Amino acid sequence: MTPQLGGVPGFRDLLPLEAEILREAQESLLAEMRRWGYRHVITPLVENMDVLDLGLGVEQRRRLFKFADGRGDMVALVGERTVPVARLVAGKLRSAALPLRLCYAGPVLSTDEGRFQQRRETYQVGAELVGASGPVADAEVIALAARCMEATGIRRYQIDVGHAEFFHGIMDAVRLPDEVKAGVRAALAARDFVTLESLLEGTPLKSAEHELLLRFPALRGGREILDAAGGLVRNRRSEAALAELAQVRDLLVSHGIGDVVNLDLGAIRDFDYYTGVIFEGYGPDFGRPVAQGGRYDALLARFGRPAPATGFMIQLDLVSEMLTRASRPPALKPVDAALAWTAPGLNTALRLGSTLRLFGMRAVVDTESRTQTEAKQWWRAVGAANLVYCRTDAEVSWSSPGRRSRNLPPEQVAARLAGGGA
Amino acid sequence: MTRDGTVSIAIPTGVLTTGALGLLTKSGLTRMSAEELGRRLLVDQSNVRVILVRPADVPAYVDHGAADLGIVGKDILWESPGAHYELVDLRFGDCRLVLAVPSASKLNGPETWPPMLRIATKYPRTTSAWFEARGQAVEVVRLHGSVELAPQVGLVDGIVDLTATGRTLRENRLRIAAELGASTARLIANQASLKTRTAAVQSVVSRLREASGLDR
Repeated sequence: MTPQLGGVPGFRDLLPLEAEILREAQESLLAEMRRWGYRHVITPLVENMDVLDLGLGVEQRRRLFKFADGRGDMVALVGERTVPVARLVAGKLRSAALPLRLCYAGPVLSTDEGRFQQRRETYQVGAELVGASGPVADAEVIALAARCMEATGIRRYQIDVGHAEFFHGIMDAVRLPDEVKAGVRAALAARDFVTLESLLEGTPLKSAEHELLLRFPALRGGREILDAAGGLVRNRRSEAALAELAQVRDLLVSHGIGDVVNLDLGAIRDFDYYTGVIFEGYGPDFGRPVAQGGRYDALLARFGRPAPATGFMIQLDLVSEMLTRASRPPALKPVDAALAWTAPGLNTALRLGSTLRLFGMRAVVDTESRTQTEAKQWWRAVGAANLVYCRTDAEVSWSSPGRRSRNLPPEQVAARLAGGGA
Repeated sequence: MTRDGTVSIAIPTGVLTTGALGLLTKSGLTRMSAEELGRRLLVDQSNVRVILVRPADVPAYVDHGAADLGIVGKDILWESPGAHYELVDLRFGDCRLVLAVPSASKLNGPETWPPMLRIATKYPRTTSAWFEARGQAVEVVRLHGSVELAPQVGLVDGIVDLTATGRTLRENRLRIAAELGASTARLIANQASLKTRTAAVQSVVSRLREASGLDR
C-alpha cells in the first residue's frame, strides 16, 4: 500500500518559503507584543474537556478533536487559545498581580474544514490584557492590534471598532415577542437581512430600534455615526456603549492610529461571549478579517477568578497569505556559500564553514568529495550565492555568478565573504 | 477583488441570468446583453464588473472576495451557507423546494412516512436538515441531474427538488407532498467589501434594492 504522501486532508505542510514567511511574521508579531510589555506564554496543544466546556460555546465544542487520554480523562486539541490563557490566569498565575499582559502563538485545530480553505489546522498569535476594564485598556489592545498588523509588513489596513452592548441595548429595548427576538438574533448571527426584514415587518410596533436593526450593516463610519445613532437609541445600555466608543476613538487618535479606525455599530460577532468593545482588522483587498478581538469580562469568573479582560488574535495564515500575494512578495534568503571539497581540502571546508557561520552567514558543506565540474552542478542544486571549492589547505577556488573563479588562500575568501567583498 | 471605485457582481448562469441583467439595467448601473456576457464571462463597464459563474459558485466567489456582491437563488444559499451578508430579496426567480412523490404513492404528510425514507436530491444538506428537524430518518441520495427519474425506477421513495411551475413534476407523474421552502433571487455581499469599501458597495446595494421595488 502506498502511504498517503500528501498528509491528512485539511492539514498542510509548509514548504521552506511558506514556513519562513510564517515564522518571520510570527516573530514580528510577538516582538511587537513584547514592546508593549506583553509576556509570552506557551500553553499545551491539549486541554481537559472540563476546562474547555467552561469557556466555549456549543458550536465551538462540537468542532474540537476530542479523545480520551490514558487516564480516561476526556481531552481535546485546542481550537482557540484564549480559554487556556484564562485557565492559566486563574490557576498557575493566580497570585500574579492584575492587570496581566500575556501573549501567545501556536496552532489551533478544528474538525471542520474551514469555509475558505480546506484547513483544519491554522496558526494564531494573540494578546490578552487581563484585569483591566475601561476605554484605556480597550484602546491599548486595539492600538496593539493595529501596530501588530503594521509590524508584519501589511500596508493599508483598517480596524473596525464596535460595541457588544450597543446591540444588547437594542435587543432589550426593541418591542418584540420573545420568539421573534430569538429569530432576530438568529438572522443577525447568520447575517441574513432578508429574514430580519420580514420578521420586523410582520410586527405592528415600530420603534427607533427597528430602524437601527434594519440598517445594521450600514451603521459604520467616523465619529459622526455615534451622533447619528445617539439620536435614534432611547436605552441606557446602547447610550453607554456609544459614550464608551467615543472615548475609545479619541484615545486611538492619541495612539496615532485615528486614520485607520472606523466605527462599526453593526459589527456582528459572538454576542454571548463579548461584553464590551469589539474590533476586527482588515487587510487590503482581502475578503475576511485578519485580526479579531474584544472585551470578554465574563470568562475569568467561570474559572473562579473574576476579572475584566480584553484581547485579540491574528490569523497568522492569513497574514502570510497576504504577504505572499503582495506586489513584492518576500523571497527565501539564499545560502551564502556552498563549500565543496576533495579529500585533502575537507578540513579547510569544515573550518571555513565554521568561520562563515560565526559571521552570521549561511554556509553548506558538501557531504562527499567531488571534482570541480561536479561541484558546479551541486552548487546550482544548493542555490547558493557563492561556491568555494577546497582542494588543499593552502588554496581554494572561489566562484560567484558573473565572475571568473579565483584561487585564493582560505582566510582571504572568508574575509572577503564576511566583509561583503564578494 | 476589484479595487477602489469598481464594484464587482457575480451573477449566475441559467434561469436567473435574464432577471439579474434586467435588474442591473433597471438600476441604471450597467447595460449588457446575456449574449455578450455569455461570450466573455467577465465584462467591465462604468465602474461595475459583472462576472458570470455557475449558480452554485456564486457564494464561493463572494465569500472569497473575488466578487463584492452576488446575485443568487436562496436555494443555493440553503445548501452552502457562508460568511457573506444576505442583504436584499430581489423578488424574482420565484420557485419552491418541494418533496415530490410518484402520483400513485401513499406518501403524504409526516404521518404517512415510513421509519426510513429514501430521497434523491441535488440539495442534500437542506433535505437532511428539514427531515431531521421533523424527527424523520432519511437516507439522502445525492444526484446531479434528472432527479425526477429516480423514483420512477425505484431508486428512492421521493425527491426533493426545485419547481417553478410544477410542469416537469407532472410530466414525470410526480405530485407535491410537502413544501420545504420558497426561494427567490437574493443579493449577497462579501463581509470585508461592505467594510473596506463601504461607500461604493452600499451605493450599488441601494440602487439594486430600489430597482427590485423595495423603497428602503
